Amino acid sequence: MLERIALHQTRLRTPGLGLDAKGVALGAKGLVLLPSIDRLVALLAVYTREHSLEDLMPSLEIHLVRSKLGTREITFVFAAESSDRMDRVAETARLVGGFTFTGTSRHFVQYRDVGAPFGYDSGQLLVTDSAFALYHDRFTQTYDEGKSVDLRALLLRLMLHVDPRTVAELGPRFLVAEKGLGPALIHYLVRSRVDGEVTVGEWPPASAFDEGPVQRYIVKVPDLPKRMHALMRLTPGITTFLPVGPGVAVEIAYRHAVQLRACPVFDPNGLVLLRGRGDEPWALERLPQMGDLRAFARVELRGEDTRSVTIATKTGEPPPVRVPLRVMPSTAPWRNVTATWIPVDRIALLRKLAYALPHQSISRTTIAVTARGAFLRCPDGVEAIPLGTFFVEIHPGLYVPAGYEVAPAVSPEVLYRALGALASQMIFVTTDATALAVDAAAFVPLETALLEAGAFEPVVADAIESVLATAPVELKLTALGAFPLRGAEPPEPLAALTPGDAPPPEQEA
Amino acid sequence: MATSDLGSVANRLFDSFLAPLVLGGEVTPGRPIGARAALAIGRERVVADSALFDQVQIARTRVARRLAPVDRMQGATEAEWALGAALHDLIQAAHPAFDAAFRRRAPGRILDLAEATVARVPAPQSIGESLSRQTWFARVFELQRTDTVVRWWVGSRTFLGESPPARLSAWPELRRVQVDKTSRAVMDLPGAGGAVDATRFGAVLGLWLAKTPLTDLATCHRPLPAFAWRSESLGLVATGPGRVLAARALAWAPKGAADAALGRATRALVAGRSWKAATAALDLLAERALVDAELAEPDKLESPGWARNDASDDAGYARCAGALVACSQLRSAAAPFSDADRDELLARLLPVASSPLARAVQAELSSLG
Repeated sequence: MLERIALHQTRLRTPGLGLDAKGVALGAKGLVLLPSIDRLVALLAVYTREHSLEDLMPSLEIHLVRSKLGTREITFVFAAESSDRMDRVAETARLVGGFTFTGTSRHFVQYRDVGAPFGYDSGQLLVTDSAFALYHDRFTQTYDEGKSVDLRALLLRLMLHVDPRTVAELGPRFLVAEKGLGPALIHYLVRSRVDGEVTVGEWPPASAFDEGPVQRYIVKVPDLPKRMHALMRLTPGITTFLPVGPGVAVEIAYRHAVQLRACPVFDPNGLVLLRGRGDEPWALERLPQMGDLRAFARVELRGEDTRSVTIATKTGEPPPVRVPLRVMPSTAPWRNVTATWIPVDRIALLRKLAYALPHQSISRTTIAVTARGAFLRCPDGVEAIPLGTFFVEIHPGLYVPAGYEVAPAVSPEVLYRALGALASQMIFVTTDATALAVDAAAFVPLETALLEAGAFEPVVADAIESVLATAPVELKLTALGAFPLRGAEPPEPLAALTPGDAPPPEQEA
Repeated sequence: MATSDLGSVANRLFDSFLAPLVLGGEVTPGRPIGARAALAIGRERVVADSALFDQVQIARTRVARRLAPVDRMQGATEAEWALGAALHDLIQAAHPAFDAAFRRRAPGRILDLAEATVARVPAPQSIGESLSRQTWFARVFELQRTDTVVRWWVGSRTFLGESPPARLSAWPELRRVQVDKTSRAVMDLPGAGGAVDATRFGAVLGLWLAKTPLTDLATCHRPLPAFAWRSESLGLVATGPGRVLAARALAWAPKGAADAALGRATRALVAGRSWKAATAALDLLAERALVDAELAEPDKLESPGWARNDASDDAGYARCAGALVACSQLRSAAAPFSDADRDELLARLLPVASSPLARAVQAELSSLG
């Protein structure tokens, strides 16, 4: 009874059937005929894996229908809108064993397939009062409308599948604890520095034997630490749910057959907790006000016999916390030994040793002779002068004895600042923790300090100096007297010096 | 003038003028000497202060050794005594005491006497004589007079070449004493309190410089009197040893200023079509160009500042003309260079010798024939 629609065909017999811009026969509605409820669930499961039902939901109607032969089938009716949407639904329906039709009110013809790219038209219409008259190339059937199927109720009734993979998933969790476990769970989470919010839900008693409504603590944890996953999952009385969409969560270790995130049938302001093992879901039509977990931590008060507040009677500056500096022996290896302190009574040894010192050591070493002895510094290491107490430079300008360390073990910068030395001073901290400051300007090269300058002949030096000096030529004027030109006479008329005149007379010194 | 008078004048001239001019220190000229005494003063003259004379001789030797390996200098010749006396009078012509009533004509007479003296001094007859005169007068342009202005709370006084008395500087805080000192070079003396005509003063000083050509060349970078090629200086550089001596003396002068002075003077010779004189001057420039090519960095020779394209650049004129003549000499068979040295020097000189300014100079020189 069906006829394939040809290219450029404009007239169609089926009422409510028209051609869209592509030339495809399309009615106002689409209809999928499914043989059973499990096919419907399969349709929803497959469709929601790739697409959302949000665009179908306003027009979606699911009915149980009955044919004249008494068979019960399910129709999935929705607004056709466009051939693109119809193509998506038809493809999914074909996969799950359903038939796709399109029409407007009562008469629905088979939607296009590979055999008829532009769809089908009915060659002869049935005269019927049934709710649906479906025309397919294999059959033509009328159906009476039965009861409607609520999608939300269907989803809530579906048994959850066991899926242990969800145990390891990260992300937020809903923890539902029985009333007796709630405070302990909150205290545990607060003590473990786990952020979250908590509220209490109330459900009607499960049976008449229960005393009253059942209260459960609902804790929303944005990021449950991994170490708590097993504890929360295995502790009796605590059920962990994994949010799978706005307003709906599935018990951990279970999975819903349909992607609930694609099914906007749950109120985002409420909460539906789908439980496994076939248990009925827990639903809250409106999620109560949630409070911060820390606000519900255990509160303990001091005894009433103690004073509530102790008021200070006096305030003042905090007492200084200072300890005297000590210098302690250290087992650390010697590094950067660049100074030595030779006591006064041993300077004579330095004089004797000077004759044996290599030139490199003498030229690189500087010395400052003070009332406390001689301080020698050599940036390359002062070990070549085996005298006195060796010092290690732990900070520019700060020395401590080699093999010792200061206590308390403050950093060299702190110690240097604490000693309050000027930038031009070298600080030597001795083994008895005495700080000696030597002016850096007092250090002179050892080679100039060692040599006792012998007398020299100043006459020779003066003579050399006077000969080599080139003083500026300074013109000084003197008075010319009353007759300045007296004696200044013009030359004699024929007077002239002859070229190549006689050499000047030899003059003896 | 009696012989005894000449002796005292000679001693005064040597002790207070010539010796400090060589050794440094205070030069205190006395009364003008005059042409007659100047020309007679050096005849068989022996300096009385032999110790000072020895110091002067040592200093002269040091000056000479900057230019030539000389171990001993002779005493002053008659011409050098005369030049010293003429310079003494020339300096005194700018004495501020002549800027007074009935005295303002005296500086002119002194300049006449100095000019007459210089005119009767012959040019040096040998390289040694030029060197000897240079040792006496090498520091003539180092001569400076310090003018002091002392201001206090109710007045001020100016001392030209004299030290202010200590009493004027007493209690400086209380009297708010302020002392300003200004140094005057030789050519600034006429304009700083003197009554002498500055132009004539410079002209006579130029004549005096001509009689000591090595000094004239060594101080050619002076602002005034401007260096000009004269027969004495051309006679010096016309000979090979004299040219070497002149080049050594010029090496102590600032390079840029010396090049500018030589370029300006040589350009005047070329403009005056004095071909023979210009040849001697160009030979000196070529000598300097060869020294530059051997010692200067190659990239410096090729830098734009070395020979600018500005036709008014006298230093560039001197360098380009020197490079042109040097290239010509290098290409001639008589050049005392090995082939490798000649090629290297030519490679260094060619960028300067082929610059636009050098082409203009070459055209100018070609017009001389």
